Amino acid sequence: MNKEIETKKEGRVLTKKDIWRAMRRHYLAISTYNYDSGFAATLVWELFPALSKIYQDDPDGLQASIDNQFKFYNCNPWMSPIITGATLAIEEKGKTKSLQAVQDLKTALMGPFSGIGDTLIWVLFPTVLGAIAASMGKHGNSVGMWIYLAVYILFFFLRSFLYNVGYDSGTALMTNMSDKLSALTDAVSVLGIAVIGAIVPSTINFQLALKFSQAGVTLTGQHILDQLMPGLLPVLLTALLYWMLKKGRKMTTLILMVIVIAMVGAALGILKA
Amino acid sequence: MGFTIWQIILITVIAYIQRLDFETAQIIPANYMFWSCVVGAILGDFQMGLVVGATIQLMSLGVAALGGSSTPDYAVAAIISTAVAIGTGKGMAAGLALGVPVGMICIQLDVLLKILNSFITNKAHELADRRQYRKMRLLIPVMTALMPLESAVPVFIAVLFGKTVVTSILNFMPAWFTVGLNVAGGMLPAVGMAMLLTYMPLKKYGYWLLVGFALTAYLKMPILGVALIGAAGAIPTFMNYAKTNSNNNSVTNANGLTQEDMEDE
Repeated sequence: MNKEIETKKEGRVLTKKDIWRAMRRHYLAISTYNYDSGFAATLVWELFPALSKIYQDDPDGLQASIDNQFKFYNCNPWMSPIITGATLAIEEKGKTKSLQAVQDLKTALMGPFSGIGDTLIWVLFPTVLGAIAASMGKHGNSVGMWIYLAVYILFFFLRSFLYNVGYDSGTALMTNMSDKLSALTDAVSVLGIAVIGAIVPSTINFQLALKFSQAGVTLTGQHILDQLMPGLLPVLLTALLYWMLKKGRKMTTLILMVIVIAMVGAALGILKA
Repeated sequence: MGFTIWQIILITVIAYIQRLDFETAQIIPANYMFWSCVVGAILGDFQMGLVVGATIQLMSLGVAALGGSSTPDYAVAAIISTAVAIGTGKGMAAGLALGVPVGMICIQLDVLLKILNSFITNKAHELADRRQYRKMRLLIPVMTALMPLESAVPVFIAVLFGKTVVTSILNFMPAWFTVGLNVAGGMLPAVGMAMLLTYMPLKKYGYWLLVGFALTAYLKMPILGVALIGAAGAIPTFMNYAKTNSNNNSVTNANGLTQEDMEDE
């Protein structure tokens, strides 16, 4: 391994320290997000020390390079370090001649990598861990919440190495890696879908409050539904909302709609918690 | 509410740190229960924080701010709900009555601050063009410092004036409203689940929904158990996918070019 690093060092100005510095600075992340340039400002801030070292005696090059980094960039912040790490490696070698390549790589990879990061970090893990933590927490047990916390702290440390992964592998391994990651995403989706199937009947929780009296026998509407299939109402509601989302309705509309249905249902005595 | 000045300051600081973490390192990004537990601990009732947090966590399942979109601020909802529930002594329903609406209002603040970011970024770009890099480097983190205010300010106001607002709401609140709020709390996870399903490869693996559903609805299996069975199902999927994809892996690059054309002005 040492040999590999030695050969790589030729023609390079950045040290390991510089890479770690850029890595630390990338934690500005999405705090600079805006609608016309994404979080390009974060890239400028995180790469500035490294870039000014690369363009030590070329002020025009430095300016052109920073101008380039100010172009629209939006990526899942967990996956972004791989991309910026790789662009840094390219720019270090090619200087101003590589600016177009840097920009191309950024725009080509930010979509696929965001997809992977969003699905894993923002959707699947919070759902699985959150569902476990919340179902325990409802009964006053905090263990699930601590597990959730511990897993993400572990992820945070792993994430710090992604910068080096990107820088060391450059462009060559990028496509290969994005394949492996989508295999992982696909596999974890199976886990996620199974958990969603379990969450629907166990945590979506509302009942029919209607009662029918016939020939002295009182039947509750919920009892009848339960005999048809447990968790029928949650399934129907989820299916309805899914269909509306597919039709292009906004999430906030759905939230408001659900609140209104709940209020009206409760006021008319049809629904209860 | 019987909060001391220090408790109010501490809760506001917690709200600021929470959002700062969300915008930067994302170590505790969607773990709303953690934040409500912290607030609960500050106010001397960890257990109430846990239960309120669990309710909010369920509401939020599956709702994620992807691609720079704005979602209800569930962390703010969790923090305020916990503070009000403990402070008024009237329990979770009173907390949710204030916390959830304020969390929804935070969407507007989020949009506003992102527009402000736009101005600051353009200013930084101008400074870079004039090669005033020092100023540019000082200006960019200003955005990082400002963004968390979108959580801290609503929390501060809610905790400071919460008691008068909540007691007047509670006095007006008819019985059906409280019931309705509880029903809504039970129904809202469905929004997240529906949202989540739209991201999932349902055509390929939709049948796993049946597995999870049957295990829980009929066999009453805890979610952790379902997750373990799902993990067992994930392993062969990973193996198969890796095998089939090693043969034909030139697809990923195709959509990159069109995107670049759109974004490059």
